[in-house]
Amino acid sequence: MKVLLVDDSGTMRAIQKRCLNKLGIEDICDADDGVTALRLFEATAFDVVLTDWNMPNMDGLQLLKEIRQRNADIPVIMITTEAERNRVMEAIQAGVSDYLVKPFTTDGLRDKLEKWIPVRI
Amino acid sequence: MTTTLEAAPTVAAPSAPTSIKTADYVNPIIQSTRDVFEMMLGCVPKRTGLMRKQDAKMPRDISGVIGISGKTRGTIVLCFPKASALEALHRMIGTVATDIDDDVCDAVGELTNMIAGAAKAQMAHLELSISLPNIVCGEDHVVRFPATSVGSIEPFCVLFDSDLGPFMIEVAFA
Repeated sequence: MKVLLVDDSGTMRAIQKRCLNKLGIEDICDADDGVTALRLFEATAFDVVLTDWNMPNMDGLQLLKEIRQRNADIPVIMITTEAERNRVMEAIQAGVSDYLVKPFTTDGLRDKLEKWIPVRI
Repeated sequence: MTTTLEAAPTVAAPSAPTSIKTADYVNPIIQSTRDVFEMMLGCVPKRTGLMRKQDAKMPRDISGVIGISGKTRGTIVLCFPKASALEALHRMIGTVATDIDDDVCDAVGELTNMIAGAAKAQMAHLELSISLPNIVCGEDHVVRFPATSVGSIEPFCVLFDSDLGPFMIEVAFA
C-alpha cells in the first residue's frame, strides 16, 4: 500500500503519517504543494492520494483535476478546513473520492481509508 | 474597560464593543477553538476572559495570523506564550522543542488555520474565504489591526487557559 500525502504544513503531514502508521501503512511519500505532488504522482504508482486544499503553488483542487486527467480511478481523499457545502460540491465535481474536514481524529481518517483501501485496524 | 466572564458555552456580546454582530462571530470562534484543541491537542480550553484588545495583558511570543474576506472581512490572531506553543507542538507530533523554531511556527500556523476554517464553516451565510496563515514571533510583539483591514470595529481578545498553559485569540471583523 503506497500513499501520496500532500499538505503544506509539516505538522499536518507528521500527524497524518502517524495516523497512517497506526493503521499499518508505512509506505508514504509526501509533498508540500501540488506541483511537487504531481511530479511524484507521474513518477510513482500510488494506491491512494491524501491532499490538503489550500496550498501554495498548486492547490489541492487543481492537483485533483490534474490527477483525474491522468487517472480516473485512484482514490483521492481531500483533507481540509474547507467545510462549506459549495466547496465540497466543487471537489465532488472535480472528482474527489472522499472528503475529511480538519480537525480530524485517527478514527475519522481510518473510516475514510477503509472505504477505499484495506487497512489494518 | 475590561470585561471578564466565567467560562460558558456561549457568550453575550462584551460591553465594549457591544453589538449582536460581535457575538455572532465570537461564538463560532470560541467553539472552533474548543473543537480544534480537543481533537488535535487532547485538551479542552477554558475561556477565562473577553475584553478589548488594548486591555488584554498576556505574555506572547508567537502569533498565527489569518485574514478573512467575503461578505465581511476581518482578522483572527492566535497568540501563545512560548511555553504554551512548545507544548502544543509536543502534543501534536511528539516533538520536544526548546525554542520557537520552524516546527513550532508550523504547528501554530496550522492550529490557526483549523480554528479559522472551522469558524468559517459555522458562518457559511457570509461566504468567507481565509488566507494562508502567517506567523509573527518575538517577545511581547504586537499585531495591529489597521482600519483598512477591519474598518472602525475595535478588536477584542478572548483569553483561555488550558493544559498547555494560557493562550489568547484576538479578533476583529469589519
